[in-house]
Amino acid sequence: MNADVVIVGAGVLGAAAAWQLARGGSRVVIFDRSAPGREGSGTTAGNLHVQAVHTRRPGQEVPLDSARFLPLQRAASDRWESVEDDLETSVELRRSGGFTIAETPDQCQELKEKHTWEAAAGIPTEVLDGDAARAALPLLGPTVAAATWCERDGYANPLKVTPAYLAAAARHGAELVPYAPVREITRRGATWRVTAGEHVVETPVVIDVAGPWLGEIAALAGIRLRMTPVAIQMHATVRAPVTLSHLVQHIGEGLSVKQVTAGNLLIGGGWPAGSLNLAGRSATSTRSLLGNVALAVRVLPFIRDLRLLRAWAGPLAATPDEMPLIGEVPGEPGFLVAGGTYAFTFAPLWGETLRRLAEGAPPPVEIADLGPDRLMTQPMTHEGRQRC
Amino acid sequence: MIVERDVVVVGGGPAGLTAAARLASAGLTVTILDEQPELGGQYYRRPAPEVARRWGDHRREGGELIAEARAAGVECRPGHLVWGLADDGRTLLAEDAAGSPVRLRGRAIVLATGAYERAFPFPGWQLPGVTTPGFAQHLAASDHTPVGERVVLAGSGPFLLPVACSLLALGVKVAGIAEAGTPYRLGRRALGALRHPARLRELAGYVARLARARVPIWQGTVVLRADGRDRVSAVTLAAAARPGLAVRTVEVDALCVGYGFRPQTDLARMLGCEVVTDAATGDAIPVTDAAGRSSRPDVYVVGEAAGIGGAHLAKARGLAAAHAILTRETGHPTPPAEARALARLGHFTALTDALYPSPAQLLDLLLPALPDSTLACRCESVTVGEIRAEATGDVNAAKARTRAGMGPCQGRVCGFAVAGLAGGDTVFPARVPVRPVRISTLLELAAEGETA
Repeated sequence: MNADVVIVGAGVLGAAAAWQLARGGSRVVIFDRSAPGREGSGTTAGNLHVQAVHTRRPGQEVPLDSARFLPLQRAASDRWESVEDDLETSVELRRSGGFTIAETPDQCQELKEKHTWEAAAGIPTEVLDGDAARAALPLLGPTVAAATWCERDGYANPLKVTPAYLAAAARHGAELVPYAPVREITRRGATWRVTAGEHVVETPVVIDVAGPWLGEIAALAGIRLRMTPVAIQMHATVRAPVTLSHLVQHIGEGLSVKQVTAGNLLIGGGWPAGSLNLAGRSATSTRSLLGNVALAVRVLPFIRDLRLLRAWAGPLAATPDEMPLIGEVPGEPGFLVAGGTYAFTFAPLWGETLRRLAEGAPPPVEIADLGPDRLMTQPMTHEGRQRC
Repeated sequence: MIVERDVVVVGGGPAGLTAAARLASAGLTVTILDEQPELGGQYYRRPAPEVARRWGDHRREGGELIAEARAAGVECRPGHLVWGLADDGRTLLAEDAAGSPVRLRGRAIVLATGAYERAFPFPGWQLPGVTTPGFAQHLAASDHTPVGERVVLAGSGPFLLPVACSLLALGVKVAGIAEAGTPYRLGRRALGALRHPARLRELAGYVARLARARVPIWQGTVVLRADGRDRVSAVTLAAAARPGLAVRTVEVDALCVGYGFRPQTDLARMLGCEVVTDAATGDAIPVTDAAGRSSRPDVYVVGEAAGIGGAHLAKARGLAAAHAILTRETGHPTPPAEARALARLGHFTALTDALYPSPAQLLDLLLPALPDSTLACRCESVTVGEIRAEATGDVNAAKARTRAGMGPCQGRVCGFAVAGLAGGDTVFPARVPVRPVRISTLLELAAEGETA
């Protein structure tokens, strides 16, 4: 079998790239080791982060570079505007804005700093003191000392986004092959040969968007990438009357809270799960559960009166420097990778970027510093090639 | 608050009470917890005080067993929901009736978490007046209140018979019992039960009582649909052999439908006890030795949580676990008579099981005739058709796509049908919290330090 592009991983990035490419006329085959959208893309909280995110998850070693992140967030934000029209379906997209709150003087200073970066990136945010923030969102608690408001923050239902992209891709002829773990990737000249289950496909372009398995898939092609997958956890309350229409985040601690269409409040913020289990389900941590929920109640006291319905964990395809990964592997023409944290927010942007790279066109945003070269620790062994 | 004991028993039904009483009488420190406001479990459910005064106790031996446990020094904590486990993997996390957190550690943990009813959807099952047989029994036992005035019981399994008898005792008109299988015909399979005269007498007693009251038992019959405007007013039945075709419509004001019970194993799985999926029932069964000891040496699983077998077997299992723990703690050997009693009771259970259609057979029977428009998941309002559209043999994918089984009941009501419709795993993953837990409890626990 032949294809113009083989995509490894039917998560949100793979789905977005598949739709972009198929719509552009490419013959696309997507392999997934399991069901599509099952791992990080199905377990994420679904936030669309437009204003700067807090720079460290609990336990995160390296802070991410907000100033560099923001132009990308801006570009992603613009692309989310058309997602429902593009895909001809609802993904429960909501652009009802969000607050990032601060509690300490240092955090207030950080808020002001990020506000200037946001202005530079063309993202409109407004800095409010504690009382002004509580006037704007009376649900905020008394410890909130300041907040930034960004009208473009939002939410989309992750359980709908990936399936919607895949369905739209399928309408343009993309072929999804679930439950087909990729076993072998080899290259002869400009042709890649991908073996997954019973399928063997020859293609000029391979896109590795395998999330926590990104490094493993690259290794099949003899490419060594330093990825550091972790598992984080999320929490949902029972349904409650809809009172919170905005995303609420914390500048200095791991917290994101929103109320979804069904009425459940989703509480996240990147708290570490009990364990990362790539073979099965990652276990949740009760310590993280308690820490995350207590923080949520401190910022939004009304949550105290609800019940917690469930907690779940999911993997995160983190990079050692916490910055996104996207680009072509040097020396391996046609082998593209994309991943890293906040991939859900970036999905429409990275989908378009991957299409342009696959077509040999310039990317829509500057990505030269986000490429895989920075994660390649040792010279390639060319195992993949020798097998040809 | 932190409670440290020799043994912590979760579940205050026949198995848990029997184990706790025996262990405490031998001098061990024992705490027993139950999420209900009174000990007794479903089988020994306590009547409300005014009900007990006017009509007496429907199961006097339950009250006696609770009294025995208290007298032996068991610390009794009804109204406690065990919802999770600390990261140390051994501290049980509970909330008491007032919503305060309670942490419990035992050198041994006995899980007697019981079972929940196996439900299956049909058109109209969300109408008021449609309940499970267990709920009707609960109303009758604890509140002396009939679930309706004119009732049909349906589903499968021996439990329909005692519930019908309880309703008769309250003066309810039991219009009939629709049993999906054909168990009440003396065939070769039934003959083995003759070796269990006491248990057989119990079943025969129910059948005789129903015959005296002229309650028809329609064997090989299933529910086709329930109708009614504000509440159920009629049930239409079909022959199991042709489940889409109406054979009889009965006017009712209550309809109780259940297909036996599923072991409640969330805590066992959360504690890391190995479980296997039973091929015939699709239920998770903890792997234990004869004394109930799981793959985790400090955790015992007894009673219905270890596999459905009825109250007699549950008590025998509770006693066996107690003796195994005593042997380990004090060196006293286990009385050999017990192992024989266990084997005998287990044999009877297997025989009764063989009389009724297995859950796998029930699915084959019921699924094909189930209309797409029927509500499958009541918490999240998901229809049968929506799940069928996502049926790829991967129930977790179907759940994610449709939200079926992800509401407050966490699939306890719809799980059997959702798994049957979607294909794949028949057991949903065990998740924290086991039941929705008050966030105020979590805050208090966070302030105390989770394991400190």
